[in-house]
This record gives sequence, structure tokens and C-alpha cells, in this order.
Amino acid sequence: MQCARDTWFVEEILVHEEALLRFLGRACADREEAHDLRQDIYARVYEAAATALPARPKAFLFATARNLLADRARRAKVVSIEPMGDFEPSHVLIDDVSPERWCGGRQTLRRLAEAFDQLPDRCREVVWLRRVEELSQKDVAARLGVTEKTVEKHIAKGMRLLAQYWFGGDASAGSCADVLEPSDERKHAD
Amino acid sequence: MNASTRTEIEALAAQWLARRDGGPWSADDDQALDAWLAADVAHRVAFLRLEAAWRQSERLQALGAGWKQAKPPPRGHWQAAPATRRDPMSPAPAHPPAKAAHGFRLRPALAVASLLLCAALVGWHWQARVQVDSMHLSTSIGNVATELLGDGSQATLASNSALEVHLSRRERRVELHHGEAIFDVAKDAGRPFVVDAGTRQIVAVGTRFSVRRDADELRVVVTEGTVQLQAADGRSDAPSSLLPAGSVARIDGSGELLRSMAVAEAERLLEWRDGLLVFKDTSLRDAAAEFNRYNVRQIVIVDAAVGALRIGGRFRWDNVDAFVRLLELGFPVQAEVQGERILLRTP
Repeated sequence: MQCARDTWFVEEILVHEEALLRFLGRACADREEAHDLRQDIYARVYEAAATALPARPKAFLFATARNLLADRARRAKVVSIEPMGDFEPSHVLIDDVSPERWCGGRQTLRRLAEAFDQLPDRCREVVWLRRVEELSQKDVAARLGVTEKTVEKHIAKGMRLLAQYWFGGDASAGSCADVLEPSDERKHAD
Repeated sequence: MNASTRTEIEALAAQWLARRDGGPWSADDDQALDAWLAADVAHRVAFLRLEAAWRQSERLQALGAGWKQAKPPPRGHWQAAPATRRDPMSPAPAHPPAKAAHGFRLRPALAVASLLLCAALVGWHWQARVQVDSMHLSTSIGNVATELLGDGSQATLASNSALEVHLSRRERRVELHHGEAIFDVAKDAGRPFVVDAGTRQIVAVGTRFSVRRDADELRVVVTEGTVQLQAADGRSDAPSSLLPAGSVARIDGSGELLRSMAVAEAERLLEWRDGLLVFKDTSLRDAAAEFNRYNVRQIVIVDAAVGALRIGGRFRWDNVDAFVRLLELGFPVQAEVQGERILLRTP
């Protein structure tokens, strides 16, 4: 079900998410806005790659980001030359971490450990049982004495938080707020 | 796209993935998911992103190695000091304390410089559920590098060596392509540590040993614990032997030669890790071959009489000039430098 474009997108584009968010951060009022733009940029990049995969993915990603910011500035009728200087992607290309960081077991595992430690307690436990103990969602539910639906929700939440940290390097509680669904923890409290 | 749309899409993508992860998953579900993904490219990118992160979380297994409790380790567990536990991610002391007595240790700068590790993350395993962590390690001539593996074990690669590490929940497997490596194996009774080296494989649970693989010879040195030497998977042409600490096994086309010596003596065979080559009543031919493993500049023995000289001593493998100078001083040997070759002959 994975096609070449999907693999390319994951391996060549998503790995730059942290750098992209930093780049977008210069033009955004808050983190949420940066994530919205990030999502738009991903959609554009993915669409543009339909005919042929761009040869230089990182440069292509940041060029797309710059275009999108320029479009947005035009729409907002805010004509400002100054910020455009900041959007120069070459800065990003030179001084930002490249995916070397993603190569090598040690850094990868450290990042994964950090991402995992960001999860709320219950969610963390569910992900552990599912991933490390390799229990099915059903067995996790039985082990913890909660419904399967609750386990599924924790898994969904865990995926989003892990992705946020794994790709975006986002650890702040604020940016996780929209992911948390406090009602579900309480409803099925054991 | 506004904020609520983005988070909504993400929540839906997570829901699809979590539901698929839970099963049962029917062909209808598959179709419904495909339709949702096709409806908007924003759906697809959000889905791909979460799916990739979830796939990464499979590697938590590598972090879970040796953790026997049903609950996850407390937060910060993997940042704990190596003194209190074998941290799979932060460098443990490179050498056992006893080593310090030798007075010479590999300079940190050299260690860093020699870390020519193209540790390629073969991480995106689309299908192999059991395989959680793969790593390729290699060194060029003249470099030695120590790398921590995901399970807390440590591999020290000698000059011009290459290996591949595959860690899974059930097994830790290393393919030694060529060269030599010392393995300091973290104890984990549930996951044997297997080194594949051509015709043989070496199985350990928690111990220290080295394996050297040359084109025509295999050498195993055990300095701690016990390892099992057996035929490679799918071969039954070699007996299986248990090698306790102090064992040195040499395997070539004609068979296996097992020797047992004092552990301290066996350790000496591994001093290359500290930048040293140690010889004791060794033929100059063999000693030169050792130096040649570590240097681009090659010592060439021109006549048999020179090759047969017996020598002993401790030498820095990165200082072949000093070695040759000492030979000239103490033995009937004359050296001639020809580009990258140093010819040794009887004067």
C-alpha cells in the first residue's frame, strides 16, 4: 500500500520537519499556525511529487515553504520586504541539522526514548504494552481493565504525540493540548 | 486550512491507524480508508506522517531489552547514568578499569576522528515486524571505533572492518563482513547475541569476545564468559564447541584449532583497541601482517630469512616508522621505502 512517493515523502520530507517548523516559526505568531502551514506545505509537496520526485527534496521543501509564505503575505496585503529576507531558504540549508541525526541507532533510540517519555502516563503504558510486550489492543484492554475503545484512543493519541516529537521535536505541553482528550481518561478511569 | 481542520484531519488519521492496529480489519475497512485517503491530499500526508511515527515506535523494543516488568520503565530511565545501568544510548567507559594500568589509552580525539561510522539507518522496515534496529558500521584503514549498539552492548571495530547489526526482540545478530571487532555483550538471557562470520557463528549471552574474519581465516578470542562456536545456519559440517574465557580459536579451510591460555594473555591479542600491537615470540612475517592491517603503508618482507626472525614487544600500530627503525637497530634488517611500501631485507 506504500508507493514510491509515500516512501519518498516519509524518508526525504518528514525528516526535515523540525527545521521546517523553525523556519516557519519566524513568520508565524504561534506554533499552531506553524503546524497549519506545515500541513499545507506537505500537501503541496506531495502533490507536486506526483509526476516526478524532486531531485533535491530539502531544497524543494523549503522553496515550497517560501512560496506559500509569499502567497500568504500577498493575500494579507502586507507588503513587507524585510521579512522576505528572513525567508531565504539558503540560510536554513546551511545551518540547520540535516538528517544525519537520523542515521545511527544511538541518536534514533535517544530521540525515541524522549518522544516516548513525553506521553501521558496511561497512554505511555498502553503504547508500551502494545509495542514492547506486543499485546494486541484487546489484550492490553484486558490487562489494564479498560475497554478496547479506550485502548484505541490511547493508541491514537500516542501516535499523534510521538509524531509531534519524533518529526517536529515538539515537546512543549502547550502544543500537545489539542491532542489530549481529558474526557476519555476520566470516563474510563479504573 | 484553519487550525481546527488540521487537527481534525490529524485526529481522523490517528483514528484510522489505531483502528487498523486493533483489528479486525476487513476489505471494506480497507476500501473506506482508501476512499478517505483519496478524498484530500491533506488526509494522505497526515496519515503518512502518523503511520511513519507509529512504525518508528516499534523500535521501542530495542529500548525494552532486558526490562522484565510488565509496566514501562519510569520516565528518564534511558537518561540514567551508565554507572547505575547499561544505558543503550550514552557511551559507557570505553575500557574496563584494569586497562588503565597500561598507561596508554586511545586519545579521545583519535577516537572521535576515527569514528568513521556510516551508521545507516535502515529503519523504515515496512514489513519485518521482528526486526527493530539495523545498523551498518565500518572503519577505514588506520581507524578504530567503538560504538554502542541499541541493546547496551558495545562493538569496537579494528582497522578496515565492516559489520551489520540487527537487533530484534528475540535475537541480536551481527554479520561480520570483514575485519575484526571486539564485542562487549550486555547480558540478556532471553536474546542470544549471534555473530555470523562466514562458515561459523559465535553465540553469546553476556560476555566479551572478539571475532576476526579474513579471507581465509577466522579467529575468535574470548576474554570473559563463555561463547559457543558453531557452524553457520544451514551448515552442519563443523562441530560445536564451547569456548571459555582465555580461549583462542582459529578456523581455516583445514579445520579448527583451539588454544586455551591465561585470560591476560588473551587480552593482549585485543590491545589494538588501545592503539597497541603486542607480540611475543612472533615471526616478523606475522608481525608485519598485523601492522599492515592498520596502515595504508605496507611492510613487505623481501626474503624469507627476515620473515622468520622472532620478535616481541609492544608497538603503536599507528607508528610503523618507529617499528621499522627499531627493527633496523636490533636485527639484521635493512629497510627501503618505496612510496607506500616499506621493503625489509637482509642487508
